[in-house]
Amino acid sequence: MEPGMKIEISFILNGSEVKVSVHSHHRLIDVLREQLGQTGTKEGCGEGECGACTVIIDGLAVNSCLYPALEVEGKSVTTIEGLQGPKNELSVIQQAFVEQGAIQCGFCTPGMIMSAKALLDSTSDPSEEDIRDALLGNLCRCTGYVQIVEAVKKAAAQLKGKQ
Amino acid sequence: MKQFEYYKPLSLKEAWELKKKIPGSLFIAGGTDVLVGIKNNEIHPPALISLRSIPGLNSIDTGEVTRIGALASISDIIQNPELREDFPVLVEAAKSLGSVQIRNVATIGGNLCNCSPCADMALPLLVMEAKVRLQTAKEKREIPIDEFFKGPGESCLASHEILTDILLEPPPKNTKAVFMKKGRVKMDLAVASVAVRLDMEGNKCLKACIAAGSVAPVPLRLSKVETVLEGATLTQKHTVKAQRLAEDNVIPITDIRSTEEYRRKMTGVLVKRAVERALEWSQA
Repeated sequence: MEPGMKIEISFILNGSEVKVSVHSHHRLIDVLREQLGQTGTKEGCGEGECGACTVIIDGLAVNSCLYPALEVEGKSVTTIEGLQGPKNELSVIQQAFVEQGAIQCGFCTPGMIMSAKALLDSTSDPSEEDIRDALLGNLCRCTGYVQIVEAVKKAAAQLKGKQ
Repeated sequence: MKQFEYYKPLSLKEAWELKKKIPGSLFIAGGTDVLVGIKNNEIHPPALISLRSIPGLNSIDTGEVTRIGALASISDIIQNPELREDFPVLVEAAKSLGSVQIRNVATIGGNLCNCSPCADMALPLLVMEAKVRLQTAKEKREIPIDEFFKGPGESCLASHEILTDILLEPPPKNTKAVFMKKGRVKMDLAVASVAVRLDMEGNKCLKACIAAGSVAPVPLRLSKVETVLEGATLTQKHTVKAQRLAEDNVIPITDIRSTEEYRRKMTGVLVKRAVERALEWSQA
């Protein structure tokens, strides 16, 4: 491999296969935002502390700022853009965030929602402690966390009701 | 991000060949420490050699001896039913490491090889007297984990050597082990952390293993504290003595996260509480 050379990778992004040529030092967030135009995923600290860049890879919440792009080959990635319905309607979790006022500047919101989704995809009836643990890696510097936790509780109840 | 090449070998042999070919290259597991180091200009490797695609390196086998592949993620450890049953202290430490996002990617081998004095996974492995298997293209060796750490960021690994497995002997039935960690908030790196293992027969302590983190250049066994407990029928007198000796036998520093004095005090407090909890569990 020559330095600066690009390598083609393919993976599933929000349900559709994508092929993209990436530099070996690129992180997943670079590819999502700069090459694929998926700017819903935010970069905050770039060090895995703030969680603004959270996406779901094969069912697990990860920091896309610490995920080498080449490691995503063959995997399935879900970003905030993948949550909306076919008519652009908000998902249950997104709607709960709106209704509970769990948003102020909004920068942390996509990461918060992806962490909440990873939790609710694997746990149908989370306790408040489960929710707070799942969101521990997501920092909000505006609202505090009460409305956010309430939004996840509300979404959990609604999703459970749908089962 | 500074430029680097990134390789995904499919075998250890291929990984060693790449390492030989590219001077200054680094092996990488989950990368949650290495990529931050590159971003912050602390390290400048021309290439990273990812061990993630090598089959079997992330598996966990629970037989007579438990083998944890170095590439097992922290979440893999938390979710493994056999580890939860046989080595709950390891699972407790794993739960305290970072956030969900970090635990899903970070690996047990990476946590050890990063050689931070506050490495969460080091303490339970020290008190369970784990061994680590280290391999080069030419040789394979197994060493006790307390010989692995040499200083902050320094291990006994030779430059081409890879930590491939962590090996755990089954503990005696009457073993109780506790992990405790003090951080400013739950996700923080430890200000002080402690693991205590007691092998009990009734109220008598047959064997004690105590380890402390963030209070020395390496995760540390506190043998002088262990000696106080071993062979004794444990009473409050012993736990208080253990607390005082723990304070006296750590060598913490003052840094951005805490002061030397606070770390020393907290180590004593954590040792006392952990011994008391292990005792409670053994009597339950």
